Amino acid sequence: MTPQDAQVSPATKPERSGPALARRVFFPNQVLGQPLVLIVTAFWVALAVTVWSASPWSSLPGPGEVVRAFGTLWWQQGMGPELFSTLKLILHATFLTVVISMLVSYASIIAFFRPVVEAVSKLRFLGLTGLVFPFTLATGGGYSLKVWLLTFGMSTFFVTAMAQAVLEIPREQYDYMRVLGASEGRIFWEVVVRGTLDKALDTLRQNLAMGWAMITMVEGISRAEGGVGALILNQNKHFHLAEVYAVLIAILVLGLLLDYLMAISVRVLCPHVLLQRVRR
Amino acid sequence: MAAGDVLLSVENVWQKLGDAQILQALSFQVRDRVRPGVVTGQVVGLLGPSGVGKTRLLRILAGLDQPDRGTVSGPGGAPLPVGSVGLVFQSYPLLAHRTVLDNLLVAGQANGLSASEARSKSLALLDRFRLSERARYYPAQLSGGQRQRVAIAQQLVKQKTFLLMDEPFSGLDPAALEDVTKLIIEVANMDELNTVVLVTHDIRSALLISDTLFMLGRDRDAAGKIVSGAHIQKTYDLVEMGLAWRPDLEMDPGFPAIEREVKQAFKAL
Repeated sequence: MTPQDAQVSPATKPERSGPALARRVFFPNQVLGQPLVLIVTAFWVALAVTVWSASPWSSLPGPGEVVRAFGTLWWQQGMGPELFSTLKLILHATFLTVVISMLVSYASIIAFFRPVVEAVSKLRFLGLTGLVFPFTLATGGGYSLKVWLLTFGMSTFFVTAMAQAVLEIPREQYDYMRVLGASEGRIFWEVVVRGTLDKALDTLRQNLAMGWAMITMVEGISRAEGGVGALILNQNKHFHLAEVYAVLIAILVLGLLLDYLMAISVRVLCPHVLLQRVRR
Repeated sequence: MAAGDVLLSVENVWQKLGDAQILQALSFQVRDRVRPGVVTGQVVGLLGPSGVGKTRLLRILAGLDQPDRGTVSGPGGAPLPVGSVGLVFQSYPLLAHRTVLDNLLVAGQANGLSASEARSKSLALLDRFRLSERARYYPAQLSGGQRQRVAIAQQLVKQKTFLLMDEPFSGLDPAALEDVTKLIIEVANMDELNTVVLVTHDIRSALLISDTLFMLGRDRDAAGKIVSGAHIQKTYDLVEMGLAWRPDLEMDPGFPAIEREVKQAFKAL
């Protein structure tokens, strides 16, 4: 038996009788087994597709139209390369966001840098629109402009979340390491860096989603370079709603895939976190 | 060191927290206890009601805080910088992202041990504390008692003369309580100079394993109002009273009497 097996709760045993199963599904704070989670999820997906199909608004495209539009976009309008171009942009901006935000957040343990950390965090209230001009001057426009706008947008939120995570480390955790005889450098590594890694990964997960949410605005600045943001804006301009939804669904699927990969990385890099989380 | 030499000296310590005087003119000494033919460390109980300043005092003893006035020194009057005195916190903090074995290795390496030395000491301690089977577990997978044992073991990877324990008996069932009292005695008796200071309000457990009891309390006026910071109000030398180092102490007719007396004194603190 592995240590993880030892943690399996009796509540996750397979449901057997009908009433017991119904109680698990409909009563508050119940733990469901994996098969039952899949069944419940499939039910909601089927319900969503049914509601969509039976929508009384005829101007909205139905599922069939969106699937056909997806085929047209993919095979005739090069949506694959556009998606790849956007993915590359987002991953590039995410890399820069992680490097900059971690440095800024960790700097919050030094009193001298705290005002800077606070200031960066507060910049999240600024929209990107008014910043395009100064960023264009600074980057020269094109791909660099998009990368840095996206990096700015994501970093302000990343720093807010991570600086808070660092701030919330209990004083006892530092004292405990000091009593063990650890140097301040070692304490920084164990308590601040390693101790908040799970939170950093969770924050990154949230920020990836924000990157996708900002992509239409950022790619709309320079449509000539393509990307799904530009694609969606072009289709929207011509009121091709089926194509717009097809792109949105492609973004959703790609976003979910990245989200899943992030969840796996948390599982691999921070296995202890799974032991502390209570699933309800 | 000779019998009776001072191992730990707290001299005229004053400490304020905001406007409140927490510790006032606090002084006590822990001396080397010697039993011919037996390696005997020291177990000192520090009793006091909640909020009296026990944890403040522990932080000063551990070197985490400096007193406003006064000194704390070790054998020969040597200063005790942070890291030289072990402290087991009440909540047994561990590194949640590291396994039990890794927690001990970090403690060893933080104290300058080589990787191989830290590993051999850590494995020996896990074996001694019956934690070998839990070496690959994360702290989240341990019971309260197991966490406590890991926290103690972590402090012992590097040999330290002083081990402070904050409320080591709180929340333990009778079996775990017996386990931890045996463990404390074992830790104290690993070396003649080893000194375990227990901060607790569990009078019975403290009496059963300590050789000295210090009662920490504040002075009150005739109306019962607190008029000073905490200092040592009473000292019980249990060795002198013939009530130390005895496995059958609870059977001694004198034990209920001293327990009653200490309880009475505790109520007045």
